[in-house]
Amino acid sequence: MNPAEAFIRPNSWRVCRRNLLAWQKYAWSSVTINIIEPLVYFLAFGYGLGAYFTYGVHGSLLQYIGPGMLGLTAVNSATFDAAWGGYERLTNNGVYESMVTAPVAPEEIAAGEYLWQAFRAVLYGSIFLCVIASLGLVHSWLALLCLPVLALTGVLFAIPALYMAFIVKTPEHLFYYFALIATPMVMFGGVFFPLDKLPRWAFDIAWCTPLYHAVNACRALVTGAASWSTLGETGWLIAAIAVLVWLPHAALRRKLGN
Amino acid sequence: MSLNVAVAASELTKRYGPVEAVRGIEFSIRRQECFGFLGVNGAGKTTTMKMVYCRIAKTSGSLHVLGLDASGHAGDIKRRIGVVAQQNALDPELTVIENLMTYAGFFDIARDAARAKADALLRSLSLDGKHDARIKDLSGGMQRRLVIAKALLNDPELLVLDEPTTGLDPQARLMVWEMLSSLRARGLTLVLTTHDMDEAARLCDRLAIMDEGRIFAEGTPHDLIAQYAARDVLELAGGDIIPDDGGLEALIVRREHHGATTYLYNEDNRALLRALAARGIDPARHVARPATLEDVFLNITGRDLAE
Repeated sequence: MNPAEAFIRPNSWRVCRRNLLAWQKYAWSSVTINIIEPLVYFLAFGYGLGAYFTYGVHGSLLQYIGPGMLGLTAVNSATFDAAWGGYERLTNNGVYESMVTAPVAPEEIAAGEYLWQAFRAVLYGSIFLCVIASLGLVHSWLALLCLPVLALTGVLFAIPALYMAFIVKTPEHLFYYFALIATPMVMFGGVFFPLDKLPRWAFDIAWCTPLYHAVNACRALVTGAASWSTLGETGWLIAAIAVLVWLPHAALRRKLGN
Repeated sequence: MSLNVAVAASELTKRYGPVEAVRGIEFSIRRQECFGFLGVNGAGKTTTMKMVYCRIAKTSGSLHVLGLDASGHAGDIKRRIGVVAQQNALDPELTVIENLMTYAGFFDIARDAARAKADALLRSLSLDGKHDARIKDLSGGMQRRLVIAKALLNDPELLVLDEPTTGLDPQARLMVWEMLSSLRARGLTLVLTTHDMDEAARLCDRLAIMDEGRIFAEGTPHDLIAQYAARDVLELAGGDIIPDDGGLEALIVRREHHGATTYLYNEDNRALLRALAARGIDPARHVARPATLEDVFLNITGRDLAE
């Protein structure tokens, strides 16, 4: 089954629906955790640090970090649920095991997880978007186009997280992914400070990571500075998904396939 | 392959690296019969079952399920069979009814039809009123029944059960047995594994005895007892010396020794005891009983622990 086809199979959407059913039981705590934490960072950096300096041509800290945190909300919600949840559903509670006794292919399970992470990213992202809009930080209706960008970001960050979830021997190994890959990407992805003062090599590395492009796109759409390059950033996200999407598929097929 | 055959395997082999879990087995399961794989842990039963329900692929040989080649038709086979795996694959984050409805969805069963089917199954499996219960709040027996309900949602032609009653208390086990008997009476083909001789004797029309990845014997429980044991068995625990004179040998079909116990398989315990008494042997400690599948099993696989 090719990855694009897996996204439109009915059973992929049913896998996503299963996650929605499970999530509904703890929706409030999930929403609270996924919104409060970025909000605290946002307010602390934006008002706290922002009282001392600005980012010059990039504007105030509040204005700079707001759309950055918007992208980060999608990254966090997708990363943690795909990694922990994916591990649990594969290894501990037999959710996938049950699916493959029914005619559900491993590719449909992975695609269902991508769809689910896209949903979460859009849900939490839109709440955060409302927060920064209420603070007067959104300057264009184009900001609504952040939602499809966040969906792509959710899918893209779900890919390595699910891959790790499907290959690690113990859940503690997921911390390697969080500490060595996810956290550096977040810190140097252009969320908290502009990257133009970094050495060239550091900037080049950042350019190769997905969050940089997601954040650039969100920032341009929120501030109304969207241009053709915004479309390019979105294209970068789509291309990265197309290149990496098979990774969890292959890992899951090794675990569950026949 | 005949239309009357539900599952057919020949030279079926499964290798995990250097370990050969199933070694070229051959069997044929007829439609509407209950066929059992009897064996100890590690005999290859579960691996065989997983190949039948298309969870794992065979290494070599051939396997047909409901007339379809298991390699290449996994999806089509899964649509037409029900699976009760060894581990209860119930979703702990969903309620009972959500478990059933979600699973039914994977078979493209429309929501209304799935709901009606789920309600009927819960009723018939005495899980009425448990619709909104969480899985962790169900007893072991209830969870097992729910797994069976799940396996029946798609009206399967063949139900595969891997150790359906292991770990259940006697009442729950009896209930599962009754349920499986009634399913068989309705014409469903059942394939199950067990290491419970009583279960095998009660439920199965035919049995295959597995050990170390091979099938050592196959037949009806009655035929297996006739072939590998005898009608009766006299267990002598006292270490009495039984002479092998001609008169006695005519009565004793088979002798087995284990520790200090001698097992004399024969067609009539009373006649054998009379013949022993006539020779002045009056075994102080003996058990006279009909032979069971357990004797067949132990005679084939040996009485010592393999581990």
